[in-house]
Amino acid sequence: MNSGINNIGRRSNERGWRESPRLNLRRIAAAFAFGVAFILCWRAAAIDPGVLFAPGTAAALWAFLLGLFPPDLTPDFLRVVGAAVIRTAALAIAGTTLAIAIGLPLGVLSTPTLWQRGLLVEGEPPGPAKLAVAWFSRSCHALLGFLRAVPDLMWGLLFVVSVGLGSLAGVLALAVSYGGLLGRVYADVFEDVDSRPLEALHSTGATRTQVFLRAIWPQAKPTIVAYTLYLLECCARSASVLGFIGAGGIGYEINLSMRLFEYGQVLTLILALVALVAVTDFFSRYWRRRLHANAPPGSLAYQNIENERNFRTHAGRRTRAMVVVLFAAVASSFYLTGFFTTTRAGLLSRIARFGGEMFPPELDPMFLRSLAVPLIQTIGISVMGTLTGIAIGAVLSLPATSTLVFAGDDEAGSRSLLGRGARAFVYYSTRLALNVLRSIPELVWALMCILVVGLGQFGGTLAVGLHTGGVLGKLYAETLEEVPSRPVEALRATGARPLQILLWGIWPQARPTLMSYTVLRWEMNLRVSTVLGLVGGGGLGQAIYNNIQLGFYSRITTIVAIIYVLVISTDWLGDKLRNRRTAI
Amino acid sequence: MIYSLEDISKSYQSRNGPVRALDRLTFDVQPFERVALLGPSGAGKTTLFRLLNATLRPTSGTLSFDGNVVSEMSGRELRRMRRRIGTVYQQHQLVPSLSAFDNTLCGRLGSWSLFETVRNAARPTKRDSEQALAALEAVGLADKQHARADELSGGQQQRLTIARVLMQDPDVILADEPFASLDPALTESIASLLLDLVHNGKRTLVATMHDVDLALQYYPRVVALRHARILFDKAPSDVTREDIETLYGDDSGSKVEVRIDPDIQELPREFRHKQHRAP
Repeated sequence: MNSGINNIGRRSNERGWRESPRLNLRRIAAAFAFGVAFILCWRAAAIDPGVLFAPGTAAALWAFLLGLFPPDLTPDFLRVVGAAVIRTAALAIAGTTLAIAIGLPLGVLSTPTLWQRGLLVEGEPPGPAKLAVAWFSRSCHALLGFLRAVPDLMWGLLFVVSVGLGSLAGVLALAVSYGGLLGRVYADVFEDVDSRPLEALHSTGATRTQVFLRAIWPQAKPTIVAYTLYLLECCARSASVLGFIGAGGIGYEINLSMRLFEYGQVLTLILALVALVAVTDFFSRYWRRRLHANAPPGSLAYQNIENERNFRTHAGRRTRAMVVVLFAAVASSFYLTGFFTTTRAGLLSRIARFGGEMFPPELDPMFLRSLAVPLIQTIGISVMGTLTGIAIGAVLSLPATSTLVFAGDDEAGSRSLLGRGARAFVYYSTRLALNVLRSIPELVWALMCILVVGLGQFGGTLAVGLHTGGVLGKLYAETLEEVPSRPVEALRATGARPLQILLWGIWPQARPTLMSYTVLRWEMNLRVSTVLGLVGGGGLGQAIYNNIQLGFYSRITTIVAIIYVLVISTDWLGDKLRNRRTAI
Repeated sequence: MIYSLEDISKSYQSRNGPVRALDRLTFDVQPFERVALLGPSGAGKTTLFRLLNATLRPTSGTLSFDGNVVSEMSGRELRRMRRRIGTVYQQHQLVPSLSAFDNTLCGRLGSWSLFETVRNAARPTKRDSEQALAALEAVGLADKQHARADELSGGQQQRLTIARVLMQDPDVILADEPFASLDPALTESIASLLLDLVHNGKRTLVATMHDVDLALQYYPRVVALRHARILFDKAPSDVTREDIETLYGDDSGSKVEVRIDPDIQELPREFRHKQHRAP
């Protein structure tokens, strides 16, 4: 017994000594590479902390903050705000509906288990038809990847140019970019269902469509519903931003008020935007809970079947009413966004002409060379913005983690009322700060940052950092809270202090998830960084804006292609990073 | 002959190069025959089943079903063939979020058109729902028809898979370890359910199992797979202790102690195969 324990100890010592030396060539090289990349990104993002502390900056910030108050609450302006909110909501609902219409069929077609490989496919007779189906499925997957890789604002610009200013362009942009996202997610969900029932049904002689309807769909439905409702939230956020490029709604009004220096109006609009996002959030969460869509498939409560069975009976009346309301909301959204009214014969020819002008893409070496600097700037903004976000998120997430802040509260009488009150104040005010940071889109942050630090990449970096800080802070706090509690309790029982609990009990468990969220966020920030230039935040966006103004549409094609390559290579890199991190 | 296998091999591409799951198998299965397939884990039993129900294609060799060569069939013919083969899997092969009733109905998918599939998902025809209820009745689950598959106990789920096969009404039944993870009492009840199903319907049965006693007790023919090859193919009365020890012994030469119930060994053959009739 004793010798066994000693042996284990010795073995792990040997391994530790042999396999993970503190310093080796690879680590030094990696550290060096990171250092160089960091400095390059720092330069590319034009980081200048000095600007933040210059006397002029403080004055500009103070003037801006003073201008925000009081918010403009005159009835006339409130009417404008109301119309903008309704328009944005309509944009989001119509966009989501069309995104489902695009994403669902493409998602089914690009599901590998159904058409490319696995037990549903292998038994089929080989031949050109089978190969053609597999390749068609792969190209659907690639198409979805393309739709998703180009940022929503970029799609918005393309549609504004091709179908004209207005909500229709916004709806189409949302439909296309979120359709791509939804399709990818749907395909992943269909792919991830338990494959054993599929094999069973397939072996009874069922066709692939039947296997999909009776084995894949019932398993995937809860996740699909949950994700689609979550997407509605994303669309609401994105719809407000699309206003900046002329799709109407809140974003348009914010941009306008900003340019008129009416900061009181800006505050009202931002509050309206935060409220809209919060309401969508609430509804989406409510529906998800009502449809039992939060639970993973297979562990749903009894009521789900009861709900389905009672659809036609007494208890189903409310569900039916909700379906009617949903239908009415979708129909009126399409009406409000002018989806039916603006469809004219001239539209198609206009789109066709625009498409024609986009090809062939401009490949002049001079032009390509001129894109190098904005490209590096974009990468720099995304990296430095994410790092800023990590810093903000890490600092704010600790006081927003209830398990840390309220640790030890269960020991009755161990804290005074005052102490508990102070803790609750810290917790809720941090949560509020995170929500504010998160609810305001990057583009709105960019407008405000530019006001304070001037045009250029630094403003864009700050904007990305502030928004990312809000998102990551919330995600970090939730991750830290959801860490399995037993090891933490065991530590607490040994008398560990909160900091010790954090370092020894929570951090080791949460690390893979935290890394994964952060890398994912960086990928999203890269997409945002490509369009920040539209409002003066530097990077590729500036080049896009200039070329659209000048009507050089063939150059736009080149830039879109560059963005696509950039985004898929970050996704690839991110995947590698994530897999490595989670494996550690 | 319902199945005829000639020199069947199946290889997979794995990360460490090609792996041979089945190596030149040759044997026939006659109509209405009952075959027990024995073998340690990884011997290729599941792969063989997937070949037999045409989920996989053999890498080489000829597999015929009812006189037709499987590799020459079109997709439609393959589906028609699968419709005649019912596979009883372990309980995990049910659709977890569908009710027991709907899972039973799924057995009929092969004979429905797409329109019928959609219509029957909403409201099954009278004939189909009566048959499904009868199948659930036969396996003793009539009172559980509205329960979700994942709410049922392990034994109930296993019976539900048999109800699905009843609904399918196949000529051949392939049972892949139908007794795995069941307690002895349940094993007994499921085994007799399965054998009743085969006897009453004049069906062919091929079943894999780990339990040697059960195989020797209930099946007139035992085929043993080891290292992707057939080790022996005998009547249970000819199976010796050495056979079993070779089958489950590990490669280092040390024999695993296998207990064969002496009573069963000495029972007259005809009697042995009728034992399942007894309660």
